[in-house]
Amino acid sequence: MTNQNDNKKHHREIFIVWALLTVIGVLVGLYATPWLMPKSASHTMSMGILTMVIFTVAAAPVAALVYAVCLYALTNWRHRGEGVPADGPAIRGNGPATTLWLVGSTVLTLFLLIWGLGLLGSDQSAGAKASIEAANGGSAAITVDVTAQQWLWSFSYPGTHVKSLDLYLPVNKDVEFNVTSKDVVHGFWIVQMGIKVNANPGVITTTSVTPDKIGTYNIRCTEICGLNHAFMMTKVHVLSDADFQKWLASQPTRI
Amino acid sequence: MSRSKTIGVALSSVLLGAGVLSLMGFGLASAQPHQPALTATPTGTRGHVALTISVYPDSQFGGNRGTGGAHPDWVSYSNDNLVVPANSVVDMTVKQYDSGGELNNSVFGNVFGTVGNTMNVNGKEVSSWDPTSIGHTFTLRGISGDGTRLMVSVPLPFDTNKGAENNGGGVYIAPMVVKFSFKTGGKGMYEWNCEFPCGGSRQGQFGEAMSTYGYMSGTLTVK
Repeated sequence: MTNQNDNKKHHREIFIVWALLTVIGVLVGLYATPWLMPKSASHTMSMGILTMVIFTVAAAPVAALVYAVCLYALTNWRHRGEGVPADGPAIRGNGPATTLWLVGSTVLTLFLLIWGLGLLGSDQSAGAKASIEAANGGSAAITVDVTAQQWLWSFSYPGTHVKSLDLYLPVNKDVEFNVTSKDVVHGFWIVQMGIKVNANPGVITTTSVTPDKIGTYNIRCTEICGLNHAFMMTKVHVLSDADFQKWLASQPTRI
Repeated sequence: MSRSKTIGVALSSVLLGAGVLSLMGFGLASAQPHQPALTATPTGTRGHVALTISVYPDSQFGGNRGTGGAHPDWVSYSNDNLVVPANSVVDMTVKQYDSGGELNNSVFGNVFGTVGNTMNVNGKEVSSWDPTSIGHTFTLRGISGDGTRLMVSVPLPFDTNKGAENNGGGVYIAPMVVKFSFKTGGKGMYEWNCEFPCGGSRQGQFGEAMSTYGYMSGTLTVK
């Protein structure tokens, strides 16, 4: 009887710690995660931030259970005497715990899988749409050739005479990037737009995005590429369509 | 394991970790430019300073004069440690003594980020140079702690002047003289290097001299 009462007490206390940690985890997911991530300048990035929030919230009860049991065990069941204590009796055949574990894990894993595939599918559809529009010369999409080399990015805008070391884009237009490298492997990352792709020598890799906020954002290299890798960064300026056209027209002819 | 032994192992692990981190820090620090600073001098025009550097086909001159450093046969800028004042106009002169060839990315045949987006080559004002006839480039970039950004790239033409080669007396003559100006903002340290494929060893020829301070890479400190 005393043993059963002890067990109930332990379960109750672990449950309280778990509930507290879950609340903390959910609050971190809801408030700290979006604060820690870069501000969004595209739908892709907004969905990335939402995914991080949802995944953190979904993971909070699982992580909290592990931490709660660990904390409780460390504070209540720590061996304080000398020498190594004898093992306790083995625990076998706890049906409800096994069922809860399997069902909980399956549901959570399926949720992550379905969410991830859905997001990937919608991104690929948007990318394919941008590619088709760019290939057809549609005004709704533009193409930018991105070239990496130690330790700079350069950009050219097919169909124009313009080349630049900063990237300029019009807002709310699909943009397809053809990314390559002149030397080693680099990583093309537009931080606030949530797109990142490797720039490989001799290979053109495509990616696409639709910037949805006017402003200046960061481009960084994400592959350690040599002496000045840390300085391999530049800016992307998202302009209104009219300002973008003005910028294109104002650029000198580059070789 | 006894308690004292456990504590000993934990302390040793912490010390070992600290040692490894210190070695990494020392390695990084020693990779910084080591040549004496070349500080820009006032020109007499308010807000303007002047800086002159050279590019040589080997490293017997400039910052490595007399020794060539660890790699006497590598191409070399004359100094890898440039210092200029904040919020000023730097009137820069680069004397280019080397031959060259074709850029692997023609965009660096253009002038970017200078006053007027132009440069002056042997007295002639231009905004670009034939990308198949480039010796080196002076390409400076970086973002300082206060957000000031510098992005300057100037192609340095192939030196076609007669007598540019080493005449045997250890003296190079008749360089291509390239002049340009750029504006500095707030304090910070920026990196520069050459974007002509003049290094070796790696794909794109961007290894060796291209990736080593004291040769074709350096820093610009804005004070």
